[in-house]
Amino acid sequence: MTKKITSSSTAEYFAKNLQQVGFSSPTKAVLTTLKEAFDNALDACEEHGILPEVHVSIKKVGTGASKSTDLVEIIVEDNGPGIDPDDLSKVFGEYLASSKFGRGQCTRGQQGIGISAATTWAQLTNAMGARVTTKTARMRKAVTAVIDVDIKGNKGVLKQKDTVDWDIPHGTRVEFRIDGRVQLNGDGGLLTYVEGTTLVNPHLTLHYELPDMEKKTVERVSTVSPEIPSATLPHPHTMKLGEFMTHAHLYGKVEFSKFLKTGFSRVTDLTIKEFVKNGMAKALLGKPVMKMTEDEFKTAFAVIQKTELQQPSTRSVLTVGEEALSKSILRLGAVDFFSVMTRKPRIADFKPVVVEVALARFLDRGGGDESIQLLRFANRVPLQFDKSACAITKAVESVNWRAYGLGQSKDSLPLGPYVFAVSVVSPFIKFKNASKETIDGSEELIEEIRRALMQAGQKLSRHIRKESREADLERKLQHIEQFGPILVEGLVRITGAPESRKKRAEEGLKKLLGRDTRDAEAALSDAQTKLAALKERNRKLGIGDEDGDGGTGEDGGGGEDMAAMDDGDIIKKTTKKGKKGDKGEPRTTTLKEAISARNALPAVKAVASGTTAKAATTTTTTGKKA
Amino acid sequence: MTDKIIRIRNLTKDIPKEAKLLCDAVLKELENANRPVLEAVKCSLDNSEYDPKVGFLTPGDKRVRTELNVSSVQKMARVIFLLEILLQNLKSGMVNTKRELYYIAKGQVKSTPKLKPLDFADQDESDSIVDFIGDMMEVYREELNCFANDRGGQTYSQQLVVTETLSDGSTATIDLSTLGTSPFQPKNKPQALKLKARKKIDFCLVVESEGTAGTLVANGMTKRHNCIVMGAQGVPSNGVRGWCKLIQNQLKVPIYFFGDLDAYTMQNIFRTLKAGSAASLIRNADFSAPEVRFLGVLPEDVKKYDLHCYQVRENDQAEARSLKKAKDALANDPFFQDKKNRRLAAILEWLVKNKLRCEQQALFSVNPKDPLMCEKIIVDKIKAGSFV
Repeated sequence: MTKKITSSSTAEYFAKNLQQVGFSSPTKAVLTTLKEAFDNALDACEEHGILPEVHVSIKKVGTGASKSTDLVEIIVEDNGPGIDPDDLSKVFGEYLASSKFGRGQCTRGQQGIGISAATTWAQLTNAMGARVTTKTARMRKAVTAVIDVDIKGNKGVLKQKDTVDWDIPHGTRVEFRIDGRVQLNGDGGLLTYVEGTTLVNPHLTLHYELPDMEKKTVERVSTVSPEIPSATLPHPHTMKLGEFMTHAHLYGKVEFSKFLKTGFSRVTDLTIKEFVKNGMAKALLGKPVMKMTEDEFKTAFAVIQKTELQQPSTRSVLTVGEEALSKSILRLGAVDFFSVMTRKPRIADFKPVVVEVALARFLDRGGGDESIQLLRFANRVPLQFDKSACAITKAVESVNWRAYGLGQSKDSLPLGPYVFAVSVVSPFIKFKNASKETIDGSEELIEEIRRALMQAGQKLSRHIRKESREADLERKLQHIEQFGPILVEGLVRITGAPESRKKRAEEGLKKLLGRDTRDAEAALSDAQTKLAALKERNRKLGIGDEDGDGGTGEDGGGGEDMAAMDDGDIIKKTTKKGKKGDKGEPRTTTLKEAISARNALPAVKAVASGTTAKAATTTTTTGKKA
Repeated sequence: MTDKIIRIRNLTKDIPKEAKLLCDAVLKELENANRPVLEAVKCSLDNSEYDPKVGFLTPGDKRVRTELNVSSVQKMARVIFLLEILLQNLKSGMVNTKRELYYIAKGQVKSTPKLKPLDFADQDESDSIVDFIGDMMEVYREELNCFANDRGGQTYSQQLVVTETLSDGSTATIDLSTLGTSPFQPKNKPQALKLKARKKIDFCLVVESEGTAGTLVANGMTKRHNCIVMGAQGVPSNGVRGWCKLIQNQLKVPIYFFGDLDAYTMQNIFRTLKAGSAASLIRNADFSAPEVRFLGVLPEDVKKYDLHCYQVRENDQAEARSLKKAKDALANDPFFQDKKNRRLAAILEWLVKNKLRCEQQALFSVNPKDPLMCEKIIVDKIKAGSFV
């Protein structure tokens, strides 16, 4: 006897498989719920050109019904456009009911699963779905209701609906009470999420209150609401053959050339000529698409793929921008210095994609031998789990950071008190799972991320190189002081030389090593000039001062270095001492002061300026054999 | 006192005098504000030469130059610091190991705060300076009264008589046949020993494993055959290398090496015993025995006796490194590149190609019921000329 085949609703499927959409543990449940509510708030604001101001509150309000959990209250309130009361049940209680599904836009939410899953989790663990209060600009009073998911029917059910006074023009407040556990720090922590979200949303003002923490406010640093790009026609290179053919059949009887021009972006009459040059039969171009054979499609598709086309429209992807990112990164803490990089849109995995990178060294984070903190973003949503499998992590590990002055073991994350933020934005990001925690990376995408990282790394290395030159000079000064006299005294003892020879040798040694010191000074000066040039370039491009702490100074940071270079005499030296506690106030001394303070080189000035000091190589090998 | 130290070779150099001249030259350069340069023989494979007539690796013309600058001033100061300690040892006739020298240096730094910048963080730092001084002056470290720990070289024989000249000029005679089960172990100044055979010695067998050498002796090999059996105990120490050289020169008996069939044994153990090493180019003349032959285990023995082999595990770091080194040796080592040693190179090639290794103890599997089987095979191989 065959078993009865039953069909189940989408809601039933997800209710049984919530682990697939980010509810695999009590800790992840809290984070995912916050994330889904926050994403919706930001998307709604941006769609309506509203600068988002979001209040987040997470509290432990009791003991959870499940073993070893707390009852956690999560409230997210925004100043967005509000939701039409008729849509409330769909938005919060129905799976795959989304205004964004398949539109080809760079919104945070894509499918309409997340917030319904959060409602389901609340319902399953606390027997109550989401409490939502919302008000649109047209409403005098706000509507409040509890929305449950009708799991059998994949429908939202509105309960306890009421109207209330709310003294804001428009907005939405969502409240969940779920079984969960609160984790603040670490990769999967709430604070990491908050920091990440703040970083990539410079236009966001956020008020948040997390357990065991005081209420905090992070003000916006940009008053420009990012324009959500409108959905554009697909780019021919973003399609696979099957998709291409299906797309064609939607156009019915139109000629193939017309289909190409109207069905895709970046295809013009000129492009069609290029197709012909590359082997597409002219006759085919006049044929109605309905009458084309599979082989004809294949041939045409191959020609299109091998023809170089203009890159996809930059309007189909969205960037935070280097200027906004520069300002935003300073909100994360006391930044020593940083570099940002926004790449031009490229095609990877058949999709337009933009990679942005921000690298910053912080004064109050981690140690020199700890791995950097990597913040990953997909469409401006922080990715916090399964780091090792992510394309972003792979790209970071594949870069040789030692070349930029950072410590790194082979194929690992680099070391140091840095935050690396890597954002990938694309209308269609390929994730490894439905919970959108890991970007699935093709070689193309990893290479694109890698390039962005390397460009940002080069900028960063200017800062690091300046520091290493300073350390080099410091070390050389120490060497002269410490080893010079010991060397001479040892030689004098072995040879039994008189005091007069000793004095002459000491003088000679000072001259020699003084030349080396001047070489090191020149190298430092060169590094400073290059850094100053970078800063000047950034200033022209409108990017803030990359010396995080220097930016708060009166001179605007880089100006000091430029002045020093013009002067040609004084070399500014930022001491790293007291780095952790001494925020925003780099102590500066001139190197000449440092040298004279040591009183070690009275003879340096006497050396002829034209003396060419040899390169400071310690050990060289020479083959004398002809 | 200096004369009482047993000399390893007839060195015409007056080390204290040469050291003083060198320091004087450095001082003079400093007085003239010129950069002094310390030069030493470059002891590495890329500066190794092999002449089959000479039989061991000799240094080429490459030199390591250390020119004074802010980066090298620390090394130079350390060289002069340790040289002074060594010269004092030469003067007083005291000897030390490298580890002891490390602690002497630490002691001096402790008692003289001004010297603190010279302090060595670990022994590797002071060792490299001692080696540099030896290479710079082209003298053995033993000639600077710095001796290494004695390891390996446990020797058994019923015919061998050793006469040792002691530092006070007296002599001691050791008849190895009277030592019972105890071995004779040479010090690392074997040149102070005179060898004599009570009866004609047919061969000397150097066994890689000290344990297997002990087994062969315990089972009566030295009683049944007029031979010398010696345990190398892994990579031969200077003591073992000098001792083999001495046996080769003074007794003029054929020497056979018996060890594992693997790249490590061929390159690190056998090549070092026969031709010296790249790291000790200036001392290979007195610390290698070019006449020593590779008795096995040979690839043909594996086939002939159906010996158990292990597959080289390429995911094992040590084994993978050894295999890579073997490939490098075939490409760069002048010893294996010389046509005189082409049969040894062929063994390395076989190892690289087949990725197998066979241990010397595998001979005990040939006839497990016969405890003398290993000895019989060794003797048969010598008689049959089955060696390289």
